[in-house]
Amino acid sequence: METPKRPSGFAQYKTLLAKDLRQEFRTKEMLISMGVYALLVIVVFGVALSFARPGEEFLEVSAGLLWALIAFTSLLGLNRSFSHEVEEESLEGLLLAPLDHGVIFLSKATSNLVFLLIVEVIAIPLYWLFFSSLTHPAETGWLMVVPILIGSIGIAGIGTLLSTITVNTRGKDVMLALLFVPIVFPLLYACVSATTAAIVGGDLMAESFMVSLALAAGYDVIMILASWVLYDFVVGA
Amino acid sequence: MSSQSAISPDTPALAVADLVKKFGTRKAADGISFTLPQGAFLSVFGPNGAGKTTLLRMLATLARPTSGTIEVLGVDAKEKPDEVRELIGIISHNSFLYPDLTAEENLVLYGKLYGVPQPEKRAAELLDVVGLRTRRHDRVRTFSRGMRQRAAIARALVNDPRIVLLDEPYSGLDPHAVEIVDELIESVRADRTFVMVSHDLEKGLALCTHALVLARGRVVSFSPVENLDAQEFRELYRSTVGMGVA
Amino acid sequence: MKEKTREVKLPEAGQWPDRMAPVILGVGIVLSTLGFLLAFLWVGPVYGASVDGVELIGGSMVSQMLLISQKIFYFHMPVAIVSFIALAFAAYYAIRFLMTKEQRFDSCSQVAMEVALLFVICTMITGEMWTRFEWGVWWTWEPRLTTYLILMLIVIAYFILRNAVDEPERSATYSAVVSIIALIDVPICFMVTRLIPSSIHPVVLREGGMTADMGICLVVCLVGLLCVGFALYRARFNQIRLTQRVEAMKQTLEERQ
Repeated sequence: METPKRPSGFAQYKTLLAKDLRQEFRTKEMLISMGVYALLVIVVFGVALSFARPGEEFLEVSAGLLWALIAFTSLLGLNRSFSHEVEEESLEGLLLAPLDHGVIFLSKATSNLVFLLIVEVIAIPLYWLFFSSLTHPAETGWLMVVPILIGSIGIAGIGTLLSTITVNTRGKDVMLALLFVPIVFPLLYACVSATTAAIVGGDLMAESFMVSLALAAGYDVIMILASWVLYDFVVGA
Repeated sequence: MSSQSAISPDTPALAVADLVKKFGTRKAADGISFTLPQGAFLSVFGPNGAGKTTLLRMLATLARPTSGTIEVLGVDAKEKPDEVRELIGIISHNSFLYPDLTAEENLVLYGKLYGVPQPEKRAAELLDVVGLRTRRHDRVRTFSRGMRQRAAIARALVNDPRIVLLDEPYSGLDPHAVEIVDELIESVRADRTFVMVSHDLEKGLALCTHALVLARGRVVSFSPVENLDAQEFRELYRSTVGMGVA
Repeated sequence: MKEKTREVKLPEAGQWPDRMAPVILGVGIVLSTLGFLLAFLWVGPVYGASVDGVELIGGSMVSQMLLISQKIFYFHMPVAIVSFIALAFAAYYAIRFLMTKEQRFDSCSQVAMEVALLFVICTMITGEMWTRFEWGVWWTWEPRLTTYLILMLIVIAYFILRNAVDEPERSATYSAVVSIIALIDVPICFMVTRLIPSSIHPVVLREGGMTADMGICLVVCLVGLLCVGFALYRARFNQIRLTQRVEAMKQTLEERQ
């Protein structure tokens, strides 16, 4: 046999990412459960808002509700993201390979981000479709894409660290929610602010859109760096 | 792995010195030392909680020792864990396979991670060896326990390891599957070094060239099997197990 | 097997900080009480006004209630500061634990987190009283209150996580990671809630500096509470170490049988 050459971290990253995507697109377990869950949350919102009057007031609330939808749906996805890895302890198999643990983190965070974005692409238009009778976003509404993207990146990053922790705990589903919601709070706050600004438009847009985005992006950078550094300890424990 | 060809046959496969693994007051390993020559088959015996699995995890670089050194074919496991990882393969009671990928995809995945030059070719070869050629495009989820274990053996050999660690490889297998696994281990034996942790005393004794008995994280006995009186050894084993959980 | 005469290393406990702890606790109690008395008897209200009934101060109606809220402030702020210091220590020991994997640092981190929890809860209670008296509502999403609510939730999650992992080393590692994340998260949380202009909840800006007597009172309270926090930390740490010591002794006895 020829002597193997140790592959670059990037090659390993691509291999692992391809593995996650192939597995998911084959079973579609996570995508389907996240998608259906998002629809169910929209239905619950529909009940909750069935006596609300259409108009400006709803517009101000709608960004918050949208982020509630994203937060709950991503929580469900993150809970499942390591289910393949622990079924036959394959995560341990990865740790046995000559592989930087940061690569595992990055590939898992990327695949989580991809799945979250796919679900968002379906769920967010549905959300606006269902509530189109109540209100319409302002002209700047399409700019909500930016906070949604930044928010999803942060959620996937810190969420990957937290779900690696909770996959080995008792009552892991609840445990992930307990850690995830308070830790991701600043990001949610900033993203809701930016999304509201985009949807409402006008003065609010000029006033707070950029500040909120900058803060959300700052959170992303700091938290993903921290997760990346700390991941080595978590996954090897 | 370019260093592999340079390894002299006199270098011990495993040189473990004063290995300690503890957390607080709990000691999973308490000064384990032994040296194993290349090509040997070491069976590790001991009661539950004696530190067998901890020892294996440390050899596999999955757990970091608190103190002491492990040298795998002359490579220090603490300083160059990645080089050690290239030298070892592990067969456990978990297959480490992804159930929703096919057997071939699993092997190619691990082959790529290890940097095997032609992972597809290597995967095909290994599937031939373990007799899963016709099932190579089936998902691992559809495999029986015995087939999974065969696929797991193929996975462990993907990087052509010099040292193979076996962690209770027989647990959950029916007698027929045990036979097949035995044959496979025999057929891939070549000049590889094996370390096996098992509860099965007879099986362990039949296969091994060296026997190690652990209790409470310490070495009770370590010797080549030809120096052992089988009856005496069984007595020792029984009395060690009698010492109970540390 | 030959009787082994191994040197037994036991977890140490009761060094000088433990002997100092009761003294420091005493000092802490005296100072906190002194601060309490000062706040009510010595320090004048804001703008030097003394109020009997309801009066107009600085363009707003001020009642007895507002004055009480001022007194609460002398405790609210020091308690909040102490809780954050405890959190910082928890994260510091968490980093040392991750670097050394010594159980001692994990215990330090855990105890610091317990002290943080206690003081965070006190912060929430005093903060609640403050909001009620100052703004007339039980809860408002004001940056500082929000931050401390989030901090409290993370600390609670930390302890639930600790108990949800069976293996001690793994539990310690996970806890260490969470306490570091908490320390990073809390300042971000404060900045985010503070910097983003909110149309619904205006940021309350407090005007006017502190007079000397207020500053003194605040410092007395702060030092007193820091002492109390430290003494609690040592007492609890000592207790945990003694438990570990007993455990180690039991194990040694078992092995010598």
